Amino acid sequence: MRKYIEFARVQMQVHAAYSAWFWANTFSVLLRMLVIYFFWKAVYSSRTEIEGLHFDGMITYIIIAMFLQMFVSGVGRELAHTIKDGNVAIELMRPYHLITRLIAMDIGDKVVYFIRGALPLGLLAFVFMDITLPETWQGGVLFLFSAILGIWIGTFFDLLIAILAFWTINLWGLEVMKEAVISFFSGALVPLILFPEWFQTASLFLPFQAMVYVPVAIYTGILTGTEAWLAVGSQVVWAVLLFILLRVLWSFAMKKVTIFGG
Amino acid sequence: MIIVNDLEKHYRIAKRDPGLRGAIKSLFHRKYETKKAVKGINMHINAGEMVGYIGANGAGKSTTIKMLTGILTPTSGEVKVNGIVPYENRKQNASHIGAIFGQRTQLFWDIPVRESYELLKHIYEIPQKQYEETLAEFVDVLHLGPLLGIPVRQLSLGQKMRCELAAAFLHRPKVVYLDEPTIGLDVAVKVRIRAFIKQMNARYGTTVLLTTHDMQDIEEICQRIIIIDDGNVIYDGSIQDIKSQFGEKRVIHFELEDSITECVLPEELKKVAKILPRTDEDHHNVSISFSNKDISGAEVIHSMMNQYSVADLTIADAKIETIVEEIYGRGMKGRVHHEEIH
Repeated sequence: MRKYIEFARVQMQVHAAYSAWFWANTFSVLLRMLVIYFFWKAVYSSRTEIEGLHFDGMITYIIIAMFLQMFVSGVGRELAHTIKDGNVAIELMRPYHLITRLIAMDIGDKVVYFIRGALPLGLLAFVFMDITLPETWQGGVLFLFSAILGIWIGTFFDLLIAILAFWTINLWGLEVMKEAVISFFSGALVPLILFPEWFQTASLFLPFQAMVYVPVAIYTGILTGTEAWLAVGSQVVWAVLLFILLRVLWSFAMKKVTIFGG
Repeated sequence: MIIVNDLEKHYRIAKRDPGLRGAIKSLFHRKYETKKAVKGINMHINAGEMVGYIGANGAGKSTTIKMLTGILTPTSGEVKVNGIVPYENRKQNASHIGAIFGQRTQLFWDIPVRESYELLKHIYEIPQKQYEETLAEFVDVLHLGPLLGIPVRQLSLGQKMRCELAAAFLHRPKVVYLDEPTIGLDVAVKVRIRAFIKQMNARYGTTVLLTTHDMQDIEEICQRIIIIDDGNVIYDGSIQDIKSQFGEKRVIHFELEDSITECVLPEELKKVAKILPRTDEDHHNVSISFSNKDISGAEVIHSMMNQYSVADLTIADAKIETIVEEIYGRGMKGRVHHEEIH
């Protein structure tokens, strides 16, 4: 266990080394927040509500979703690279579990990002952009729980795609597609309730809405009561399912590597 | 320490017809072809031995090493390292071995060297005291002091390799696999690295399996060599043996003052020596090969100087390098087996 904590710690340290990158990133998030704010301001200038959402609710949803989306991707790219350049062989010679190590590093990444990026920018948004708090404290607690599940699902999905690098030659296309599908289906761009009925039904059966839409909808009160609990229940199911799927796929991949030599 | 019996590894390679048609065809129907990379290797290496494992590119060296480290599962045969079957207990095996792959770095790219070592301390669960002692020793021997604070990506190749070496030995592994540890390094660094490896072996009894194309490495570090070719062991024995077996063959290059189109050997040499075919168009040069068993170098030179006016001469050394070159070239399958040598 200790070694994995160390991995998380080192990863935080690595982040500290790239401060130019950090500031560039912060700046781009700030810019995005401004664009979003003025875009929706313009949309709401001619009406007071869309699908039952007032401006406050909408901007809260969009901003919170934007932050959450940054946490739902993971270290998949790192894993894919390791596989592609063959360094995975060296990783397998070490006395640790590669996936656990990557997740530890990912946690390190996300903690740093939360403290240095999301927290200050989030506070800024609260002060200047009419963002509201959850209506009830139960909603707030459920949101936190649901957000952690969403991040878990996103991280595992990301790793799952990356493992496919063992079988495919070019992963880049797959990654781009994954990004697009996630931002669309997860509700990171707009609340899923704005989409047609059939689309909402379809995404009920996909893991994507569990990443962003469910937690943010709980936060903003789109999902309440039994509906909220059901949604969280489905998140738990997805979290467990992806965890198992990842293990199975990984052991298949290991068999392929160790028997066929990659 | 390392026991390998009848080890075989076959790869299945997808065969594909050329061009787009072939690519499409291979989507539906794939033909496989079996490539035998390792065909029944036997080797027994005792604790504390330093063995050179050599062979031409593609002979099956890396495949064997991969099976020893547990990355690859053998098709058949038995492998045991330190009593553990590597491919069944990969993680357990991993904590007893160290490795260097000359082409790939194992240190952590973005953090200073010292932090890399700290991390390795946790990964291999090295006790703090032992860690400090070992590191202090390595810093001293490999002159790592000034490098500890620098991120790995900023190190030169020679500096990096010294750091890698320390990383591979840091947890005092029982077995270390070194794959081309001196590739691309200058002589001074090579010397230092060889000295370090020998010192580790002397102090901790580390078993070393060294793969390299640099015969100087082998000659200085190893007592024993195993040569493999085309997936088979073609020689296993001491360096001394192979030298006396093949090393009696000597070559002397003469540079004559006069140009001669057809050089004729002196009478007394005709039976025991022969002229090597010229490699260039220079008619001043003559190369004579002979065996130490039949005649001494001095006699050859004496006879030649009696007959011709010699401007200069060089005696080619009986180096392991030339011997191995000869063995590779001949592909001496079936001719010399290690049973005959022992």
